[in-house]
Amino acid sequence: MSETIIHCLKESVSRYPDSEAVVYKDQRITYKQLWSMVCSVVNYLHGQGMKKGDRVGLLIENSPEYIAVYYGALSAGGVVVGLNTTAKASDLINWLEHCDARFLFSSINHPEFNEITKNCTYQLNVIGIGEYLNDQKSTCDLWSEIVDKSLLELDMTMLADMMSPATIIYTSGTTGSPKGVTLSHRNLISNTRSIIEYLGLSSKDSIVSVLPFYYSYGNSVMHTHLAVGGRLVLENSFVYPHKVLEKIVQERVTGFSGVPSLYSLLLSRTKLKEYDFSKVRYMTQAGGAMAPASIIRLLEEIPTVNFYVMYGQTEGTARLSYLPPKNLIEKMGSIGKAIPGVTLEIHDENNNICPPGVTGEICANGDNIMIGYWNSPDETRKVIVDSWLKTGDLAHYDEDGFLYIDGRSSDMIKTGANRISPKEIEEVIAHLVEVEEVAVVGVPDEILGQVIKAVIVPTSKNALEKKTVQAHCRKNLSLYKIPKIIEFTNELPKTSSGKVKRYLLQNNN
Amino acid sequence: MSIEETIREYILENFLFTDDQSLLSSEDSFMEKGIIDSTGILEVIFFLEEKFNVKVDDDEMIPENLDSVKNLVAFVGSKA
Repeated sequence: MSETIIHCLKESVSRYPDSEAVVYKDQRITYKQLWSMVCSVVNYLHGQGMKKGDRVGLLIENSPEYIAVYYGALSAGGVVVGLNTTAKASDLINWLEHCDARFLFSSINHPEFNEITKNCTYQLNVIGIGEYLNDQKSTCDLWSEIVDKSLLELDMTMLADMMSPATIIYTSGTTGSPKGVTLSHRNLISNTRSIIEYLGLSSKDSIVSVLPFYYSYGNSVMHTHLAVGGRLVLENSFVYPHKVLEKIVQERVTGFSGVPSLYSLLLSRTKLKEYDFSKVRYMTQAGGAMAPASIIRLLEEIPTVNFYVMYGQTEGTARLSYLPPKNLIEKMGSIGKAIPGVTLEIHDENNNICPPGVTGEICANGDNIMIGYWNSPDETRKVIVDSWLKTGDLAHYDEDGFLYIDGRSSDMIKTGANRISPKEIEEVIAHLVEVEEVAVVGVPDEILGQVIKAVIVPTSKNALEKKTVQAHCRKNLSLYKIPKIIEFTNELPKTSSGKVKRYLLQNNN
Repeated sequence: MSIEETIREYILENFLFTDDQSLLSSEDSFMEKGIIDSTGILEVIFFLEEKFNVKVDDDEMIPENLDSVKNLVAFVGSKA
């Protein structure tokens, strides 16, 4: 058996048993304590007759329990399905059913918890985490009954092999077939090792983690820091940014990871110069392009920090390229070069390699490239061709081999840290009887990168109000998927073959 | 219109997309009830600054000032 992220965690536990692994609210969990939680999960799942390859859903915010279930389910031979905690029950049930999850570890106070347990169409074993806010009687197994602090021996006999699925990350899909990016143990460990290498992470490092673990970026922050024996300081809200900054200072962390919108918030709503960042060694940015002007401002405010611009996709586990801080000024606007173990090429429409200066599609090859989309061979074949991942991102190399993004060849909207398919919003809006046709696009936004705009052809003039559309979306979609801009029109611009010309809708006037 | 009515109408109109007053109590936590997310709070701050001509300092961006209609009313009142 080759090494997996479980072996890395085990190594951290044996080397640093009494060091803090996770800081969460008022809890300080050591590696040994975290390990006993992991062992408890394995023990429980084996007791429930867990079979190799069973899918285990996970619906809780970043917490010690999230980490314990993640590593425990993997150790027990399972496939972890980290679910977006802001999703509505319809999405969550759709995902759980799509991957035929056998277990669900969920916060019992999650707003959709009752809806899921009531409406799931098959036998799902639910384990409730947390305490009821009222006197409600539990109808499922509870986390508090599972955890046995004395358990420290891990039974890894069921651990799947390196090429088997380890995790599924759903990236979209309300109706039809959702896209579940399926990553193997090999994918996870190879990307984890690469990131550790280029960030130079060690057991001395610690990070304030605000990115949700159910997304690939947050997931990579979790694995990399635990693999080196570092410390995760969990903050689940960025609503009040200066509280996060205070945490960075108080906890004397060495790192911070964010998406462009988080850095925009820091730059616009806090006085960074007033905080002591002397312990912070690295800051990383991924999840969409950050404006060079913002990067320069950040460097002016915190000149001592090494700022890493990174690029990746969930389909590549998380990371595909990074720009070394030493090249940041000289190559401003670049996403750098491929990370260790990954090859990136720019291909033209005929799959030929483009010379420097010529734009084509970024194609990636390496041990981090996903197995495919769960149960969707056709979708997988569209993006993985001859073991190369077609990213859908358009870019060019310069003469020194640095990559520059030029655009996207797909219609996906990127708002904040979220990647959204316009189709899923269009499908929800189209359910309104007053809607004849609808197209959804992303339009530029200073803070979020993009905000969502819906252009609607109503069945008759004045048939529909903006508020009605947004209220309908609020009922059926996560908050971040509600269009900020709603426009009504007589017809949508289309090509001769009837395809909506989305680019014509992408101005925000 | 009182400060409370103005704020309440703004939250209902822009985050709950309704004029049904019964859907929002003055004490409802915007975060816990999933009414507003992080970018929504920024919009609320811009609204306060523009509508009531107040300046929201960074260290005033805390739940005690911003996380419910009641807290917002008290916060704006304290700035008067």
